[in-house]
Amino acid sequence: MVGLSIGEKYFIQGGIAQDLRTDGRKRLSPRPIFVETGNISQSNGSARVRIGATEVIASVKAELGRPSALHPDKGKVSINVDCSPTAAPMFEGRGGEELSSELSVALQRCLLGGKSGSGAGIDLSSLAIVEGKICWDLYIEGLVVSSDGNLLDALGAAIKAALSNTGIPRVNVAAGASGDEQPEVDISDEEFLQFDTSKVPVIVTLTKVGRHYIVDATSEEESQMSLAVSISVNRQGNICGLTKRGGAGLDPSVILDMISVALSVSERLINTLDSQRAAAEAGKDEL
Amino acid sequence: MRGLQLSLNQTQKVRLQRALEKLESLSSKPNSNASVIVADSIPVNHEDGLLKGHGTSEVNGEVVATVCGVVERVNKLVYVRSLRARYKPEVGDIIVGRVIEVAPKRWRVEINYSHDAVLMLSSMNLPDGIQRRRTALDELNMRTIFEENDVICAEVRGFQHDGLHLQARSQKYGKLGRGQMLTVPPYLVKRRKQHFHNLEKYGIDLILGCNGFIWVGEHVEVTDDMVVDQVSNSEQQSAKADKKILSPEEQERSYTPQETRENICRTANAIRVLSTLGFNITVEVIMDTVELSISLKQQVPIHEMLGAEFYVLVAEKEAARRSLTKKK
Repeated sequence: MVGLSIGEKYFIQGGIAQDLRTDGRKRLSPRPIFVETGNISQSNGSARVRIGATEVIASVKAELGRPSALHPDKGKVSINVDCSPTAAPMFEGRGGEELSSELSVALQRCLLGGKSGSGAGIDLSSLAIVEGKICWDLYIEGLVVSSDGNLLDALGAAIKAALSNTGIPRVNVAAGASGDEQPEVDISDEEFLQFDTSKVPVIVTLTKVGRHYIVDATSEEESQMSLAVSISVNRQGNICGLTKRGGAGLDPSVILDMISVALSVSERLINTLDSQRAAAEAGKDEL
Repeated sequence: MRGLQLSLNQTQKVRLQRALEKLESLSSKPNSNASVIVADSIPVNHEDGLLKGHGTSEVNGEVVATVCGVVERVNKLVYVRSLRARYKPEVGDIIVGRVIEVAPKRWRVEINYSHDAVLMLSSMNLPDGIQRRRTALDELNMRTIFEENDVICAEVRGFQHDGLHLQARSQKYGKLGRGQMLTVPPYLVKRRKQHFHNLEKYGIDLILGCNGFIWVGEHVEVTDDMVVDQVSNSEQQSAKADKKILSPEEQERSYTPQETRENICRTANAIRVLSTLGFNITVEVIMDTVELSISLKQQVPIHEMLGAEFYVLVAEKEAARRSLTKKK
């Protein structure tokens, strides 16, 4: 991220105050979003999302594992984000670690629900195969390929798209195993089960610059922010998670405003994601 | 046209395709002999003392190109000027750059070149406009002229033993104030007589840097400080000092006027569209595009300028323009 001169900073702040940002957008209009699914053939599901110059890839890998002793009837999900050093010079070496861990924690909070897995966007009990013995472990990996602001929203959208692209092989459990023995399983190569991703939320980040807040900030605008509130909303319009970055204070009534804005933005975002996915699938059928 | 990201519908796709085909058919043919792609052999008569330059290699006694581009010959030297190359400075280029370091007697400037450029304190006019030797005091006050991250405009002076040197020996060069800097591929900006443009109609300044950095900003009146007498100068300074303690409301009022800002955004978006489509960026084409967007104000608000429909319109307009100039 290069620095900005005083004149440029002033211009960006003025633009946000006057509701006309440097690329001609209004405060609450996002950039167009482009989604491709199924890019990585080795994974069970993957998606690449581009918002302006921001580009992220998410992949979902399913592996057989043992459920934890506390929740024998549930599978496990882990989310991890990596920042590629090609995205920005500051991600080189260990530079990206802070941002990666911040992003993964925020995504975990938005998508995974409570400790027991209840209320999560992903239904963990659908991942169980044999209670207490075998379950699916989902490894969700995010990769930031290039960064131009609004990474969290892009990653959220990519993970949602990747999950809806995910097919988990059907597993046939050989009968007869009993006691402590690990039952034998047969993984089908042809039959795949689709996920129910209707509960998976999308994330909308509202960045406050000066006295106003904006949707889908570019990295130049993010450099001028005082705080950012990320709200994850699902299809039903319920809030699944809320995180705030930046130390500046915020009036409680502003948060309510932000939430209602996030609701309308997220509805549009979910519809775009769905229509893009449908278009991509239709395009594949034609080929 | 690589990596064009647009959600075109069927008709738009067809229209864009047609416009691009037309552009391709109009592209100049006479030069095609000189243009080569990788592994093309370059015809040379093997006299003694042939010099193989950049982008060439000898395979089986034949000189072949290793990059796509245009073959250039200078006396015995044969080299290939590559098409999608990084910016290569030439003496006299007007460039826009960003100061990245204030060093003893010099500023280091990022100019999109493989090295950073150097602007010496001695190769720029002092703010007081008097020609004199630079003292140690001037050196201490360098940050009052340019700071880190400032966007500046300068001219390429030439290569010296310690790198590429810039100069800013006129009032038109120097720090750029309010506006935005855009980055486009440098090969889209051709060297011309005029790189500074004051678009009076829109109240904006446009600087097309040869290095692919383009400045679009609020118009600033160039004042010759030598004529300004001492009194008004000190008045200005006191006004400046007052400016720093403004309440948010006052600050809002001193922002760029809405109309100017709209024009800046329109111009910037026009440049973005042109550079994505890969058209040469000249002030005429930019102004045509801006006027096109203004004439369609109802259908194309500023933020829609980066949408699919406007891209198609611009491509069609460019095709029409080129066929017109061709006929002439």
